[in-house]
Parts: sequence; C-alpha cells; structure tokens
Amino acid sequence: MTVIDAATSTPPHAPSASSRRAARGLAAVMPAFALVSVVFVLPVLALLLRSVLEPQPGLQNYEAFFASTTYLKVLANTFLVAGTVTVVTVLLGFPVAWFLAIAPAFWSRLLFAIVILSMWTNLLARTYAWMVLLQRTGVVNRTLMGLGLISEPLPLINNLVGVTIGMTYIMLPFMILPLHATIRAIDPSVFQAAALCGASRWHALTRVFLPLTASGIAAGALMVFVMSLGYFITPALLGGTSNMMLAELIAQLVQSLLDWGLAGAAAVVLLTVTLAIYAVQLRFFGFGRAAG
Amino acid sequence: MLLDFARLGSWRLLLGLIAALVGAFLLLPIALIVALSFGSSQWLQFPPPGWTLRWYEELFADPEWLGSFLTSFQIAVVVTVLSVGIGAMASFGLTRGEFRGRELLRALFLTPMILPVVVLAVALYAFFLRLHLNGTFIGFVLAHLVIALPFSIIAISNALERFDRDIETAAIVCGASPLEAKIRITLPGIRLGLMSAAIFSFLASWDEVVIAIFMASPDLQTLPVRIFGTLRQDLSPVIAAISTVLIALTAGLMALAALLRKDARS
Amino acid sequence: MTFLDIRNVSKHFGSVAAVSNVSLEIARGEFVTFLGPSGSGKSTTLYMIAGFFEPSAGDIRIDGAGILGLPSNKRNIGMVFQRYTLFPHLTVAENVAFPLRVRRRPQAEVARKVEEMLALVRLDRFADRMPAQLSGGQQQRVALARALAYDPPLLLMDEPLSALDKKLREEIQAEIRRIHRETGVTILYVTHDQEEALSLSDRVALFNHGRIEQVGKGRELYEQPSTRFVAGFVGHSNFLDCTVAARNDHRADVVFPDGSRLPGTPVHRGAHAGAAAGLMIRPDRVRIGARGAAATSAGVDAVLSDATFIGDTFHFVATTAWGAPVSIRVPASAPMPHQHAVGDRVRLSWDPGQARLFDN
Repeated sequence: MTVIDAATSTPPHAPSASSRRAARGLAAVMPAFALVSVVFVLPVLALLLRSVLEPQPGLQNYEAFFASTTYLKVLANTFLVAGTVTVVTVLLGFPVAWFLAIAPAFWSRLLFAIVILSMWTNLLARTYAWMVLLQRTGVVNRTLMGLGLISEPLPLINNLVGVTIGMTYIMLPFMILPLHATIRAIDPSVFQAAALCGASRWHALTRVFLPLTASGIAAGALMVFVMSLGYFITPALLGGTSNMMLAELIAQLVQSLLDWGLAGAAAVVLLTVTLAIYAVQLRFFGFGRAAG
Repeated sequence: MLLDFARLGSWRLLLGLIAALVGAFLLLPIALIVALSFGSSQWLQFPPPGWTLRWYEELFADPEWLGSFLTSFQIAVVVTVLSVGIGAMASFGLTRGEFRGRELLRALFLTPMILPVVVLAVALYAFFLRLHLNGTFIGFVLAHLVIALPFSIIAISNALERFDRDIETAAIVCGASPLEAKIRITLPGIRLGLMSAAIFSFLASWDEVVIAIFMASPDLQTLPVRIFGTLRQDLSPVIAAISTVLIALTAGLMALAALLRKDARS
Repeated sequence: MTFLDIRNVSKHFGSVAAVSNVSLEIARGEFVTFLGPSGSGKSTTLYMIAGFFEPSAGDIRIDGAGILGLPSNKRNIGMVFQRYTLFPHLTVAENVAFPLRVRRRPQAEVARKVEEMLALVRLDRFADRMPAQLSGGQQQRVALARALAYDPPLLLMDEPLSALDKKLREEIQAEIRRIHRETGVTILYVTHDQEEALSLSDRVALFNHGRIEQVGKGRELYEQPSTRFVAGFVGHSNFLDCTVAARNDHRADVVFPDGSRLPGTPVHRGAHAGAAAGLMIRPDRVRIGARGAAATSAGVDAVLSDATFIGDTFHFVATTAWGAPVSIRVPASAPMPHQHAVGDRVRLSWDPGQARLFDN
C-alpha cells in the first residue's frame, strides 16, 4: 500500500519513462563531474601519491616529516593556533549569536550586517587592516602606549599572536552564523517551562540553554577548527618565518625547496586531519552543516 | 526568559557589551582601511594628519593595477557564466535524476569547498605545470571554476528543491516541450537561485588568492595576487585605496543579494 | 457515443499493482468523478490519461484515436493540479496566454482568448496581477482558465480544491459546474471527498485497491451500492452482523446475534443461506420507537448510549443487545427526538427495502 500511496500522492513528472529520466539526470551532471574529476580529484590524488613515490617509492617522506622537530613544531603551531582560535570564537561567538537572536530588531540587524560585511570583505583587505593595526608603530601599540599601559611596543605581528588575532577575526562569522541559526530554532517556551519548574536563571542557562545549543556549538567549533588548520593567507602575512603553520609549510616546500614528496606528505597529514574532523561532524551532525 | 531580551535583567548589559565589543572588533579594521585610504600619511598614521585622494590617483594611474583589475574581472565573469551553467545542469541532475550514487556525487562536487585550498593550489600547480596552463587565462578559469562550482550547486539546488515541480509539469500539459518548459518556466522560477549562484561564483573567483599565487605569472596576475605581492614588501596606502574599492564592491554585491532575498520573500 | 475510452488499463509499480484492469467509457461533455481513498488508483489512472505514466497494459483512446505513446504536451489535454501551479513569474494574463503562446497562435487571438477565459472565471479585473497576489481560490480559477484557454476537449482535475477551506470549496464547486455547462468540456475530476463527487458530477467511478468498484450516478451509488465498500464509502452507513436464514431471488431473511429475525432485505449478490453477512442501513433511515409498542414492525432492541444535537439533526448512537453500535440521524424538525434520553431502552426499526445485505 505504501508504494501505491507514494506513487499517487503527488503527480509524477512528465515525460514518462523513468529509465529515460535517470539517463538524462546522469547526463546533466557530466560536465560538473568531468570538471571536478580532472581539475580537482586527479591533481589532488597525484599530489598525495607523490608523497609515497618521490624521490623513490616508500614512506621516507613521512619518516622525515615526523622525525623533524621543525616540522613537528609546525604541526604543533597549527594545532595551537587552530585550537586557540576555536576557543576564542566560541567564547565570543556564543554571546553574539545569542544577542543577534533576541536583541531589538534595529541592533540585531545592524550587528548582523556588520558580521556579513566582515565575512564577505576581501580576505587580503582584512588581513592588511590587521597588519596596519598590529605593526610596531600601529594603532594598537600607539593606543596602548598612549594610555600608559605599556612602555615598549608589544610584538603583535610576525608571530603566532598576530596570526591568532587575524584568524579569530576571520573565523568569528563562521561561528556566529550557525550558532545564531541554532538559537533561533529554540522554542522560547522551554524557558517558561523551566522557570515554572523552579529553575533559576543560571540553571536555565546551564541545564537548558547550553545543552540545547551544544550541537550548534560543536558543529561551529569543528568547522572553525578545521578551516583554521588549513589556512594559508593570514598566517603567511601576519605570521613570522620562524613560526610557520602547516599550509605555509606545504607552500614553502613546493615553492622554495621543490620537495614535492615531502609537500605531498604534509598535504596528506593536513587532509587526513581535515577529513577525520569532517567525518566526526558528518557522523554527529549530518552533511548539511558540514557543507553549509 | 533567556530568549526574551527585555527580561534578561542584568545579563542584558553583559550580552550587549560583548556584542558591542565584537561588533567594533569586526567593523573597526574595515573602517580603518577606508579612513587610511583617504589619509595623507605615507606611514599609515591614525588618525591621519590630513586627507587626500592621492592613493586613489596613484592606483588609477598605474596600468599594472588596472591590468590586474581587468584580468580578475574577466576571469571572474567567465567563471561566473560557466559556474552557473554547469552548476544549473548539475543541480537539475542531482535534484531530479534518479541514478545511483547521487548523494555521493553531490558530496564530491561540494568537496572543493571544504578541503584546505592550499592543497588544491599546490596540486593544481603541479598538474598545470605538465599541461603548461600555469599563468594562462584558461588555467585560472578552470581552477576558479572548481572553487566556484560548489556555491552554484548549493544555491541552485536549494532553489530547485523549493520550486514546485508540478509547475513545470503544468507547463508541459499546456503544450510546452520539456525543454521549453524548463527554459520558459523553471529557469525564471529559480532566477533568484541563479542570481545568487552568480554572485557567489563571481566573488569566489574575484577573491580567490591562494591558487592564484601559485599559478600567476609576471604577465598574468589577478588583483589579489598583486595585492599579496605588494603586501609582502610594504604596507603602501595604495593597498588601503584598493581595499576600499574592493570593500565597496563587496558591500554593493551583498546589498544586491539582500535585495534579491527581500524580493523573493515579498 | 464514447469520447474517452479507457480499456482494461493496468499499472504496476514493481510488484505492486496500483491500477488493475480498469475500464470506463465516457461520453463527450460528461462530468465524471474518480472517487476513492488515497492509494485507490484514481490519481494513477488520471496520470495515465495525462501521459505522466504509461500503462503496463491496456489502451486509452480519445475520439477513437490511441493517445498512448504521445508525450503529455502533445495530448492537447487541459489539467488543473492539486497544488497551485501558476507560473510565479508571469501575470495572470500571461499565465492564461502561455498555452496559446507555445502553440504559436497569433497575438490578436491570444489577447481575445485570454480576455474570454478570464471573463469565464470572473477574474477579468485581475489580469495584471501576479499569482502571489491572489488568494488560493483565485489561483485555482486562473489555473482553470489556463487549462481551458486552448479549448482542450478533455479537462483533468486532480483534487483541485483540496487546499481550500470548506466555504471557498463550495463556492468554486458552483463555478466549476457553471463552467462545465457553459463550455461543454468533458471533465474528469479526482477527489477523495464524496460530497464533492456527488455534488459535481454526472457520474461517479468509485475506486478501491486499484479497481473500479462501481460506476453510476451519485444517487445510484448511495441508494444501490453494489459492494460493501461502496456502501461504506458513499454516505454514512451502519453495518450489522447477521446470518442469512433464508434467501430467494433478490431478498433474504436474516437473524441477528440476539435471535431477532428480520425478513425481506434486498441482496445484490452473494449472501447464501447460512452465510454470515452484514446488513447495511443508513443512519437517516433508522426509526427509534419505544420498546414493546412497535414490536410488530421488524427491527432490533437497543439502548440509547449517546445523543448529540448538531444543528439541523439529532445524532443518536444506540447499542444493540449484542453490543453493536448503531448510528441514527433524525432531522431536528421531526417531532420525536426529545422524548428519548441516553439510557432509554428503544426499538430500532426500518423499512426492510432500504437496507441491503452484503457478504462479510
């Protein structure tokens, strides 16, 4: 019966024969498939293969990568920055998303517009702004010195501090927007119910609000973390040569050292971590969030 | 009560304060660039000692900047057209086809969006070395197309899923051929999805820098590549001027997208 | 003279038969409704006529010419859908003009026809509106104008009013009847709403499990249901379990579980002597009498278990001695009902000719 219902509850779609429709659907995706296969899958696979094929077949690139304190430090830097950025964006993003969801229309719209504008402003323009702000004689140092808080300019650029600030700036919208959607989806009456049950405001926050938003926080945090891991531009411009991150290392290995095998190995490491985190996200939160 | 701003009590202050600080954090760098682009200080003093249009004059007088601007624009336009065309076809196939592995294919198409772009950049650089496509217009278009396509597919698939397919069927019963019904009824019906696909595809190409850095040749540099190269040398105020132009452009496109959404709702 | 000829049509989806061997002949200008519960095959049959599905077996002919194999857009059939299917980016007038434009009709003819159609559905003042500016009822009227604009000889309507509220539905039903009269178009109408089917159509084909259970005028289906399903689906019915005690050509005597015997109930088919059967009687044909006084008339004893006043009628439920509920409707204008109260022991009776007997 269910099969009949499914077939009749909504009209099927002309033209008829379903085998023809299937064939047509397949033909329509072919240009995209060809493009993605040739210009994405093939080159990436080729790069990854080079990690075990160059200079000769074997795992020596991985051995070299994991034996070198320099490269391990790069890996540590990468996780440190990505982790810090994630924690900071959660701590700042949650109240902002909360504010956006409930503030008077004017203020929430204004803040929303700022978030969107900052997200879509050219990445280089934003990074440039932070270079200007954080440099030795930049606005931040001058202000702090003007206030008498410091006597010497702080080293805010060409190190991981600068990278972390710049990345936090870039990642904040990616935390705020999904969290905002999560909070908007909560039915306000659950808090009335909690209050009627005798819950204090603090209890309502920790026992109701946070659990209800946990999945959104986790999804946003995973996304920010994984995007931070592979970021290139901001670390390249705000970071120093002595404190590289993984994406920079890959670029350097190719551009300066022409060591494709090792670059491939580093790419495999980056991709493995990235895909593992996406797998976690997919497993717990579904593909929509991972893709969106 | 936690979702009622008026009844948040003292927490309201805290929340408002954090929101204001984050808002300032997000807005000030952008405002700063705009201000500095009109500031007269070569060393980017803030507040500027005076105001000038000098950096814009320098920018527009420099054929290299204009050339890069034009290059980026041409690439982005071609990418946009192809991305919307291929993306629309793929979206029809993905939302309406009934072949096996549809979801897998959709995931594959979206992967370029979520993988670290530096990996794709290095991989494409190596691949294009063999094909002699580095530093060519076609190379840029192909690479940016891969980046832009996921945006197209998401926007158009969403629009197609919302578009009631019975409307297309109705056009066919009215006597239109299936192709005619798609062109005259379905495409106009999902035009907002097509337009946002175009906007996002354009921006994806226009703002793309990582792949472009690897692929660029001295003869063919996109705007972001030239900005990146300049930034590595010094923090010239000309960059502030060009950044301001870019910010205005983005804001304009975003406003357009917002208008489209508003139009769609009414 | 047959206009639309549906011959032994079947449709299988995998191993499931959605439509089994359906045959129906429809005359030009007739208004026929496919009535039935969801999943009964009525819509599937309609879609085969529209060309969305090819039948697994059988033939469909219009005016003697086979239409199978023709794509939907070549069948020259009009159709109004369940959901609103106006083209959202075109004005009302452009919507109605669309089928004429794809037929490359001259501009003057298009303009004249659009005007005529909008007048027909009484929406001439809305020609320049966008569909989103119309109410649901107005949208379906435009859809009707669009479906009729190219003078198709056959109009298919697939539950076109199911998204509308009751009052609007009745209003548009009247419009559809008028348009049918004025245009003389042959209409095939699908609905699961029996009132709609009875009020609209010349004939009703009642579908169940992929087959047509009965075809006929609404009144025939109501008064002479040929199967238990028809009796249950069209109008309200009581079914009382009983055993056939004796049977002649068209009538049978039955015995109820409490032993009371009732002679002379009409039988359509089946119901052999000794068989278990169900006696169908409409709630409005049951009379309530005091116990004992009317023992002469045929009927059963029961106890009133519920009484409701629903405006123009009283609705009673009585429970027989063997626990079967019997629903009874009495017009509020009838003098009797206030005499009865819940808990009263009553005798239910009816004219045996108005009951019918079906196999269990």
